[in-house]
Amino acid sequence: MKISESPRPFAVAKKESVPLSKIDTRTAEATRKLGRVFAASTDRHSMASTFSSAL
Amino acid sequence: MTGPLVPFREIVLKVHSRCDLACDHCYVYEHADQSWRTRPKAISDDVIFRTAQRLAEHAKTHALPSVSVILHGGEPLLAGPARLRRVCEELTSAFEGVAELDLRIHTNGLQLSPRYLDLFDEFGVRVGISLDGDRAANDRHRRYADGRSSHPLVLKAVELLRQERYRHLYLGLLCTVDIENDPRAVLDALAELDPPLIDFLLPHATWDDPPPRPGGSPTAYADWLLTVFDHWQERGRPVPVRLFSSVLSTLGGGPSLTESLGLAPTDLVVVETDGQLEQVDSLKSAYEGAAATGFDVFTHAFDEVAAHPGVRARQLGLAGVSETCRQCPVVRSCGGGLYTHRYRSTGPSDAFDNPSVYCADLAALVRGIEARTATALAAPAVTGPVELVAAQQDLTRTLLALLNADIGQRGGEQWEAAWELAAGIEASEEGARGLNEVLAHPYTRTWLLDAMEPVRERSGAVDVVHRMSACLASAVVRAGLDLFVRVPFSGGRIFLPGLGELRMADEGESGAALLIATEDGFLVRREGGDAAERRIVRPDAAGPGWRPLRRIPTPGSAAGFVLDDLDPYRDCFSLPAAGALDERAAAGLAARIGEAWTLIGTKAPGRTEEMAGRLTTLTPLTGLPPAEPAVGRHGYGALGIAPDASSEQLASALLRGFRRAELQALRDVTDLYAADGSWEHRMPWQEETVPFSRLLTDTYERMALGVFDRRYLEGVPQALDALEGAAELTIDGKQLLHRMRKEI
Repeated sequence: MKISESPRPFAVAKKESVPLSKIDTRTAEATRKLGRVFAASTDRHSMASTFSSAL
Repeated sequence: MTGPLVPFREIVLKVHSRCDLACDHCYVYEHADQSWRTRPKAISDDVIFRTAQRLAEHAKTHALPSVSVILHGGEPLLAGPARLRRVCEELTSAFEGVAELDLRIHTNGLQLSPRYLDLFDEFGVRVGISLDGDRAANDRHRRYADGRSSHPLVLKAVELLRQERYRHLYLGLLCTVDIENDPRAVLDALAELDPPLIDFLLPHATWDDPPPRPGGSPTAYADWLLTVFDHWQERGRPVPVRLFSSVLSTLGGGPSLTESLGLAPTDLVVVETDGQLEQVDSLKSAYEGAAATGFDVFTHAFDEVAAHPGVRARQLGLAGVSETCRQCPVVRSCGGGLYTHRYRSTGPSDAFDNPSVYCADLAALVRGIEARTATALAAPAVTGPVELVAAQQDLTRTLLALLNADIGQRGGEQWEAAWELAAGIEASEEGARGLNEVLAHPYTRTWLLDAMEPVRERSGAVDVVHRMSACLASAVVRAGLDLFVRVPFSGGRIFLPGLGELRMADEGESGAALLIATEDGFLVRREGGDAAERRIVRPDAAGPGWRPLRRIPTPGSAAGFVLDDLDPYRDCFSLPAAGALDERAAAGLAARIGEAWTLIGTKAPGRTEEMAGRLTTLTPLTGLPPAEPAVGRHGYGALGIAPDASSEQLASALLRGFRRAELQALRDVTDLYAADGSWEHRMPWQEETVPFSRLLTDTYERMALGVFDRRYLEGVPQALDALEGAAELTIDGKQLLHRMRKEI
């Protein structure tokens, strides 16, 4: 029997979550999510330069 | 100009000052500055050597992780393979053990051959090529001096780069815009060559020498680029476009990605073939000598150039643009445009203290991209409470995964076992639900954030494992899983998040407990203890060695609150958490909270509906003014309250706190605004000016408090106007404001 009187804090999201063991914390998306709660790193965008006359 | 030096991260190294093409739109040869005539044709060994030394010195001084060197000119391939090899060798050796060297070359491609590409492969030099579109487009400007087309040879160069063996060196294609070309045909022609990246360059122009506008439209260039954008979207975005990526980044609150747009400091410097150091060379379009600094690699360190006022001017962000630009709502994305394009030789102030000659185009481009993408880009969490909860959940899970990745050696076997158990619990539906409930608990986030703080690395690994096991035990109990969980403890106690505190032994003792769910609660015994010590615990009832968290019912709504005065991680507010309340204090507080809830429900039933199930956890704090709520460093759903507050005060605190907590929760998972603090905003209800974030929070809270006192709503419409027109606002922020408008 589950704890019937304890308030269910939140409805669990309907869509399936990625299992914990499969979450990749190094993707750009994960970095962005984590960057909101940690101080953002100041590393530059590595793909393109900012020089307008080159890439 | 104040502020710390911005070190150079990109060096444009002119290895040759002449070119084998005669493009009529070239800023080096065809515009105001004619200094190329006086430069040595090719870079000398001395300049190569000194540049490499100076650069490495600069990297060391500023502990730079990496530096980009862009071989440029004129046409850099005219320097020849031997000289280019020399450049690569000197730079590579100077940077050994100092910083990562990112070598690039930008070329017209005419001389590109396997000989060069093999050399580039050896040193990892990536190659960018200039191309203005299909043959017709390219031939408009990019011709030999005798008028021949350069197109066939450029195509040949690109074909070489696309070969399997050189593909990894292919950086992309750079296209100068001519609005007489068909924008769709240009995109198609570029995309067909399968580049990893492309960019579009507005033709260099100034107020003295404005760009051609055949139709006369002030937004002709924006219209052209937006046609490209639409075609690009239709084609499923076949290739990243730097210009578009930059606008999309800044619209979302991120940094700009090109010196042509945005407020990111320009950390570029140019080294000419004779070793002279120059500001970014597009300035040559402005006037003779515009790019000069008076410094050179023989006599001066890069830091001296970094301090040059002209260089500093392009690093000042908002302070470096004109007043007109500073007041403009699209300034974070536009940034006043490329520095050169602001030049006007006549006029009352500094020659570059103007908007861009492309101002109307840039504004239209930014707004146009925003209009086309806002719906797709806006985070669902901003307008959907269920989505907000889901995004919070996702963040917590990502943090837990990060903790697992970070804990490494420190966690040892105990952590590994716990992690495996978590996977096992998640495998069943009830288990997944139980675990998600624990993860959704606000102080789980606190634990995770704390666990990853560097200072904790030294001492806290043990605590981390204990809490993890306790979380799993709590999950198992909630889900009613028939699974033993081993929970190590110290201090004689175990706190089961969201449930209560278990006394296992005397205060000084450490050990481990074994828990399993039962019919109506859970069974716990001490590991290594005898069977007689087992006991069954009913979670909601206090018993020997069990102190449950108290539930506070909310009249008319099933959800209710948990009064959490026990969780060790509840101490995450700016004021200290109060100690555990005794029965009398707790009962009194519960009654007053119930009354507060009724009060809110009477004035604003919609609010109590909103709050039910979203605000879940109340923690008494010490020293908190009675009508004030507190939001701290935790996940969505918790509030700090004053335990002695009256019902009226609690009503105010809960309502205000709910709004504050919601905004904080949104900040955790979306980007509502950027560059907070760059502008001052007047608050309609008091004298002081405040940053954007404060105006937003205050307005948001007042809108809710208005049910108790209409005076709170005074000034709210003006505040909303101010917020909506603010440059700090991102796409997510605009969605939120839209929702706020609908509320009042």
